[in-house]
Amino acid sequence: MTALRDHLDWLRETDTTVDVTEPVHWDGTVEAVAAEATRHGCPVVRFTETSGIARLVSGVYGGPDQFFSDDRDPWDRIAGALGHPPDGSYVDLIDRLARWEPASIDERPDAEPDATRCDGADLYDLGLPTTREGVPLVSLGVIAAEVDGETTWAPIAGRGRRSTELRLSVPRPFAEWCPPRTDVSVLLGVSAPVLIAALQAWTQGQPTPDAPALAAGLSDLQLATIDGRTVPAEAEVRVDGRLSGIDPKDADRTATWEIGQETTTVAVETTGIATREQPTIPFAPFDEPLADDVHLACLVEAAKLFRRVNNYWGVSPVRWIQIPVEGRLGLCIVSSEILYAGFEWQLANTLFSFSDLFDKVLVVDEQADPTDLARALDDMWVKAHPANDWVFSESHASSAAAPEYRDEDAGSRLYINATWDPRWDEEYIAPRVTMETAFSESVLASLADRWDELGLDEAVRPDRLDGDD
Amino acid sequence: MTVDSLREYLGALESCGDLHRIDEPVSWNLEASAVTLLLNEADGDVPLFEDVDTARLVGDPYRGSQRRPWDRIALGLGLPRDLSYEEYYESVIDRLKDPIEPRIVSHDDAPCKRRIQTGEDVDLLDYPWPYIHAGDGGRYSNLHTLIAPDPDSEWVDWSYHRSMIHDSETSSVLLLAGEQTPNLYYYKYERRDEPMPVAIAVGVEPAVQYTSVMWIPTGRNEAEYAGGLKREPVDLVPCETNELMVPASAELVIEGEILPNERRDEGPFGDYFGYMHGPRRSMPLFRVTGITSREDPIIPFCVEGTGVGETENATSSMEVGCVGPDATLGLRTAGFDVQCIAPWKSTPRTVYVISTETTDPSYLHDMANFIFTTWGMLHVDFFVFVDADVDPLDQRAVIEALALHADPDADFHQFGVETMPKVPLNIYQTPTEKGDIQTGTSKAKTAKAYIDATSAGDADPDDRFRDDSADIDRRYRARRILERAGVETGDLPFAETEADR
Repeated sequence: MTALRDHLDWLRETDTTVDVTEPVHWDGTVEAVAAEATRHGCPVVRFTETSGIARLVSGVYGGPDQFFSDDRDPWDRIAGALGHPPDGSYVDLIDRLARWEPASIDERPDAEPDATRCDGADLYDLGLPTTREGVPLVSLGVIAAEVDGETTWAPIAGRGRRSTELRLSVPRPFAEWCPPRTDVSVLLGVSAPVLIAALQAWTQGQPTPDAPALAAGLSDLQLATIDGRTVPAEAEVRVDGRLSGIDPKDADRTATWEIGQETTTVAVETTGIATREQPTIPFAPFDEPLADDVHLACLVEAAKLFRRVNNYWGVSPVRWIQIPVEGRLGLCIVSSEILYAGFEWQLANTLFSFSDLFDKVLVVDEQADPTDLARALDDMWVKAHPANDWVFSESHASSAAAPEYRDEDAGSRLYINATWDPRWDEEYIAPRVTMETAFSESVLASLADRWDELGLDEAVRPDRLDGDD
Repeated sequence: MTVDSLREYLGALESCGDLHRIDEPVSWNLEASAVTLLLNEADGDVPLFEDVDTARLVGDPYRGSQRRPWDRIALGLGLPRDLSYEEYYESVIDRLKDPIEPRIVSHDDAPCKRRIQTGEDVDLLDYPWPYIHAGDGGRYSNLHTLIAPDPDSEWVDWSYHRSMIHDSETSSVLLLAGEQTPNLYYYKYERRDEPMPVAIAVGVEPAVQYTSVMWIPTGRNEAEYAGGLKREPVDLVPCETNELMVPASAELVIEGEILPNERRDEGPFGDYFGYMHGPRRSMPLFRVTGITSREDPIIPFCVEGTGVGETENATSSMEVGCVGPDATLGLRTAGFDVQCIAPWKSTPRTVYVISTETTDPSYLHDMANFIFTTWGMLHVDFFVFVDADVDPLDQRAVIEALALHADPDADFHQFGVETMPKVPLNIYQTPTEKGDIQTGTSKAKTAKAYIDATSAGDADPDDRFRDDSADIDRRYRARRILERAGVETGDLPFAETEADR
């Protein structure tokens, strides 16, 4: 079970939450505190004294950057939210997300939704985080709609306009799939599989309404039915309503998933609000490095690429792909066996074909550790020949969506080959300096034998080490 | 508090709880370096090996944490350890701008003269030079100050070229043409067929060690800069077998000469890139004429190759703590408007990040051109320019700038392909390209590049980090709320980068 509440319990157990117990509901303060916490790799922040019905929480799917912490990885919280084993690897995680195996939801028992109607409550009563001007903000949620007996969930980002109207950015294919005046539910405080499935269904280049089945493939999701719409039963807050208008123009971006997407702004006239007892609403501060929505978008895109490249040539040479959150979708790192000379060119350009988010790819050797971004970048600087291995395309490639230097113009792409040239003789390959390569087994064995004698337990300062070491 | 010797520095480390004394016998043959590497990787204490044959060893004594690589460098200068990087940089820059003349002391007042070996008594192998990595070409002294004079002036250069021990009286010294001391050797002494008098001062006081890794302009008295850093004169004493002056506080001084047209093998060595590099190559021969030392000397060494990725060592921390402020001052003195120049923390020497208010393309080109033709010529392959409000030591922020602001069309600039000189240490070069020629440079030319990762020229100029005063006030209030909630902000990256905005 991966409901938000279970996830929050897990975060508390792993000591990665702090509680803000003072009132913080004025002038966008909640948003500012979350932004500051997110930007600086703080724990998950729970706001227990807010103005409305719901408690707020930031950072539940976020995390620190890879340079800051050597004992936590950026994706740890998402992995935990998916019920990924604590000792599970990054490769296992993206492999799981890359499987994209829908599970039929037809046979699933219909549960009662945990959220119950709050008669008379409106959007302001919820106590959503606000802008400095007091406008309620919506993030980290999905919109559920049913058409011809099929329900889908799509990602949203937006704000409250009045006490009974939401204006939400949604993927344009979703808006086109949904007839005008469709009844919908906006679901906040949902589990990671729901958010991920919504992104996979509508933002990955081949839109499909199959989000509930994709989510079911990721977890043992409990489902409920509201007016014919299938919704995750565990949602903390459900805002029911009807599409009341569509503005086909792209709205100002408010969430990372919108990058590279054609979006539409829809208005939802609310008809009722349901909440769980003492509901909690997670949110992501807007446009902050390391915010939850950056993490989710990077991981989902990496998994898509992992799936596609490893199913393309009949073999699976790619060991891992990362869209590091630190680069905010603008950089892709791929670790691969170099099957033959020139394969790195083929690999980088395949990634450019499969994603329009970035225009820079770093290719590293298959031995590169996906949890050591610093070392991968070190290879970029020292192993790639600055004249020969920084390879720019001609300037007619489509512009990437994440970078900020171009709008619609074409331009060059760059890939950096930080792998050993397969044409080199083995003797040319410089071994890394590590404990294992710099010292013989007998030296290491002696060190282990003399560990106590040399007082190394005290010297390694266990407080600075992570548990695995 | 001033720190007058390596011993005093180690005492200060111990007072901070950062020194680990190992009284048990430890071998110089890989064991001391294995312990040091382990502690480097674990961000553990600095190991002082009290019983290594005839002397003591200390592994990577100036290594800091990757979050605050300058902390122990600051300790060696008597500066507080809780300075933000900006405060630290400006403190060092202020000191460098105010040099203090050295003081000449007598033999009796020079700790490095407690024991004196000259003539046939000289035996390099009396000392436990560490064998650092399996696969190294030999045992090394690699954390010292190499002192060599210009034959045509009063100028004496301090540097820290490593030296591989060959036998009781010779070693080879890694001299790569293009740097100051190698240029003196290759293009003055050797052309005149004269030996270059040299002293290698091992275990010098921190200010001297730091000065040795800085690029002090030609003709300047390096001892004055060390004094400036220390805020007191550095004591110098004459050598026994040549006319050089050496730091009196050194643990050990090897006197001698680098002979013209004599070469010995040097390397392979686990180098600062994080890789073992080869092949074994020929480097100038250093012949020892005398050794003086303290009683029970302490020989510092660096496990090179470990200061990459998430791990620090003495070299990588000194890059941040010494070369960074020195280079910042150098660029400002040359008239460039730089906020800060800092090495990429997880890749020492190869790439630097420069934050600057002035982002005009021609200005950046001129600055890169200046650097690549001066101190950045040999070791530095890349410069990354970022906006003035990006912390160059915040690798996340720099990666974001690279990813989002560096346009492959317009912002990556190479100074030609296969055009520029380069040290033959790079692992991206084949052994053939590295060559093995007399002047110790690479046979192959290479490229230098700079990357404009500023937001100037963006289609939609980025103002995310350009907070107005109201934003800063909000962020300050937000931080206070987090602190009251129990967040240890001192342990988080905003503590040193934004506390004083």
